[in-house]
Amino acid sequence: MKKKLVASLLVMSMAFGMVACGNSKSDDKKSEDGKTAISVVAAQYGQNTSDWWDNFVKDFNKDNPDIDLSVEVVSWNDISSVIDTRISGGKEPDILNIDVFADYQADDLLLPIQDVVSEETYNKMYPAFLEQSEIDGTVWAIPDLASARAMYYNKDILDAAGVEVPTTWDELKAACEKIKETNPDVYPWGIDMTTDEGQAAFAYYTWNNGGGFVDEDGEWALNSDANVEAVEYEIGLVKDGLTNEKPATETRYDLQDLFGAGKLAMVIAPNSLPTYCADGGYEVNYGVASIPTNSGTSVSAGVMDRFMCFDHDYSDEQIEAIKTFFDYFYDDARYSEWVLMEGFLPATQSGAEAMVEADPSQESWISILDSCKFYPTAKAEWADVKKGVIDVEQRALDGEDVKTLLDELQTTIAGE
Amino acid sequence: MYTKKLTTKQIILKILLYFVVIDICIFTLYPYFAMFCSALKSRAEIFSVNGTILPVEPMWSNFIDVWKRAPLAQYAINSLLIAGGSTLLAMLCGIPAAYALSRMKFKGKTAFLGFVIVSQMFAPVVLVIGIYKVMAVLGFTDSIVGLIFVNAAFNQAFTIWLLRGTFMSISPEMEQAATIDGCTRIQALIRILLPVAAPGIVTTLIFIFINAWNEYTVALTLISTDTSKPLTVGINIFNGYNMIEWQYLFAASLFAILPVVILFMGIEKNLTSGLTAGGVKG
Amino acid sequence: MNKKKFRKVEPYIWMAPSMILMGIFIIIPIFVILRMSLSKVTRAGIVKEFTGFDNFLKVIHTSAFPMVLKNTVVWTIVVVGLSTLLGFILALILNNKFKGRKIARAIIVFPWATTLVIQASVWKFIINTDYGTLNTLLKTLGIIEKNINWTPTAGAYFAWEIACGIFVTIPFVCFTVLSGLQSIDSTLYEAATVDGCNYWQKLFKITIPLVKPQLTISTILNIIYVFNSFPIIWTMTKGDPASKTDTIVTYLYKLAFYNGKKGEAAAVSVIGFLILLVCSSVYMISVLRKEED
Repeated sequence: MKKKLVASLLVMSMAFGMVACGNSKSDDKKSEDGKTAISVVAAQYGQNTSDWWDNFVKDFNKDNPDIDLSVEVVSWNDISSVIDTRISGGKEPDILNIDVFADYQADDLLLPIQDVVSEETYNKMYPAFLEQSEIDGTVWAIPDLASARAMYYNKDILDAAGVEVPTTWDELKAACEKIKETNPDVYPWGIDMTTDEGQAAFAYYTWNNGGGFVDEDGEWALNSDANVEAVEYEIGLVKDGLTNEKPATETRYDLQDLFGAGKLAMVIAPNSLPTYCADGGYEVNYGVASIPTNSGTSVSAGVMDRFMCFDHDYSDEQIEAIKTFFDYFYDDARYSEWVLMEGFLPATQSGAEAMVEADPSQESWISILDSCKFYPTAKAEWADVKKGVIDVEQRALDGEDVKTLLDELQTTIAGE
Repeated sequence: MYTKKLTTKQIILKILLYFVVIDICIFTLYPYFAMFCSALKSRAEIFSVNGTILPVEPMWSNFIDVWKRAPLAQYAINSLLIAGGSTLLAMLCGIPAAYALSRMKFKGKTAFLGFVIVSQMFAPVVLVIGIYKVMAVLGFTDSIVGLIFVNAAFNQAFTIWLLRGTFMSISPEMEQAATIDGCTRIQALIRILLPVAAPGIVTTLIFIFINAWNEYTVALTLISTDTSKPLTVGINIFNGYNMIEWQYLFAASLFAILPVVILFMGIEKNLTSGLTAGGVKG
Repeated sequence: MNKKKFRKVEPYIWMAPSMILMGIFIIIPIFVILRMSLSKVTRAGIVKEFTGFDNFLKVIHTSAFPMVLKNTVVWTIVVVGLSTLLGFILALILNNKFKGRKIARAIIVFPWATTLVIQASVWKFIINTDYGTLNTLLKTLGIIEKNINWTPTAGAYFAWEIACGIFVTIPFVCFTVLSGLQSIDSTLYEAATVDGCNYWQKLFKITIPLVKPQLTISTILNIIYVFNSFPIIWTMTKGDPASKTDTIVTYLYKLAFYNGKKGEAAAVSVIGFLILLVCSSVYMISVLRKEED
């Protein structure tokens, strides 16, 4: 009996001891053989990402003998849970490449990015992009790449149905009906409202109806009339049978494959779709156009990923090493290789110039980037809003009232 | 007359048995057949609207390319180390516990058996946050050894419960006789009890090995160096942001199943042989 | 230490390795989660001040939570129930002597030897309306002419997920039971035959009572594993649409890592734990009681 008591006490005290220890940041960056160690966790964009980073690390460590760089590539599916778990364990990397930053900033985990990026490299960035990573006048992250969305259409299907490329919502609906009439086997229009990226669909329709996530003052405005109309239009397309059958469970990858296979007539997709089709061996005769709009001007959706630097009480040497890393990464030749590798768009002016020089057809995309809208990822409630709008879309699809749902969401978000 | 009738009945039963077994096997293998065919197709063919069951032009090169695209051999070795190590450790800790629980009388026995089960009740997807904290303190992050400990701990419940059941179904007389002859308890356990308990032990081994071989959540969070990743995490390389490379993912997965099936076939005969040993002496 | 004293301590020494292993790698992490569930946790996962039962109250008042609970119960009962039944029958079949039994057994291991993420991906792939291999197969065989939408509703998708869950759980039950069947003394059956028992009498009087320990443990563990199972639902639907295919585990994963509410997610996991504890302890206590008699 006594033994048991002692044993359980032992386990308990160990438990609490360890929990207490776990909180203290015991992360000492002792460098091996006098080298300064830097650790990077990077997101895996595609099949070339790992190889690219492998070579990067080799070159970097050769060119900088006093720095020991290590890069871990993690798939998009898992990266946020991996990072959050490591933060709980006090073992976050020095540099992180991911889509969002506000949550880390809110916990004072990040260093202002200007502290760890050289003046020269910092000035390469598009100012509009840097603004997206600004909270309280400080920029916390720099963009590593961007992508923009546009409407892709299957020329053969549209020709067969005898429809022009739609530019407005009314034209879009009419075109879809016509396509469905002439070719009932194809889906006229693709929508993805899954947990994966349902917020993108919400953005496409609300932005192109004069609405959106926030109002002019940057306050949440989720239940505006424009938004209600936009979501109702979106849901209406599904209900009329003009879209893929299961928008709540078919992700944009499914849609891209359907498009590549000639089963989907039109879809909003990132600028990497041509690379996707080419790599997949699809032979589809497609064209690109701006996203159909209901407000006169078409708004494209931009997505941007970032680098950020965790605060580990760095020594001057370490700060220098991190600066060296960023300078090396954003070196124009290396950077355009990075961007082109998976068919993304550059976030630096010199990168854009290099890209257009290599491939003039990219120029239209670069100009689209200038007029894009971005998700309000700098706002603290963004994660809730993202999940909230996806939930609204899915429940509306199920027959619930859009206005009521959006009102509820607005109350929850603004009330928090 | 009577015997003849019985044989007809037996023949019908035998045919029926084969019929059922073959049906079950076909049904079980269907997903693997689908995987295999898809692994031989190009991406465009996989998603083609008018697809065929078999690939039009089998791309056998997919099965070779997949080895160049990812260090699968290294991943497989890691998986073997993790699964093998976990199995060994789980057995080393589990057998003595199961032995004590089946052969000795002491206070807290029931409580301990309950505790073992209760310890399994937290969902691993959440528990991994806590596990990571422990590993950070012990310096086991990014270490295969750490993963072995976790897998062994996760499998204690099954090990202890199943082995305890097996030990209890075996009469303790033989061991008692051996102890009187001067054997220690440990000798009696190893020389007498374990051989008789072989079917239960083999089942436990297979179970732990497969579980550890397939473990994903903890390995994903714990291991950061590419060369230490097990297969489950490693093949994620084909699961990119821009596209999932089904043909490679499936090819690699088929390779990943092989070691387990081979191990199983090698060890399977013990499922029966142990029984005869026990049956004759019982 | 004298012999009598040693006898008293001995069992604990035998159990010590196992206890230490579980203590460090399971029990301590559980305490970490318990603490999170009772504290305010930032989005990035840093535990702040103690907030009592706030997280629990928030979770319970979420509109989707009752549905998620219901899904979890349906998922667990159906998957465990059917896979136990089918796995048991399969074990009876595989316990017969026949040519090719070794191969048949190896084939049955396949679903178990496959990582769940991959298994679920394949199933998703098979039942896809547009390029799924099931439609292709049925079209080639001439059974259907047009592609069938196998998952027109959330309920249908959930049913497929359950089917996949059963498919991967059967081998575990089958081999656990098989190990029990193999150790039954065959003379028992011979004696029963002499006494004039038919097949069903032998099944219920001899087989089932003797494999009961194996059946018990596989059922208890299955309830726990299936209740906490994550990859199948996550890979196939991520709980979409609108949490209609969510179980507690996928729901809390989204809460924790998509929505940044780690405190609430920890609370959900504690609620799940308590449900499991209550359900299985009823079962366990009755089993252990009988054994002790």
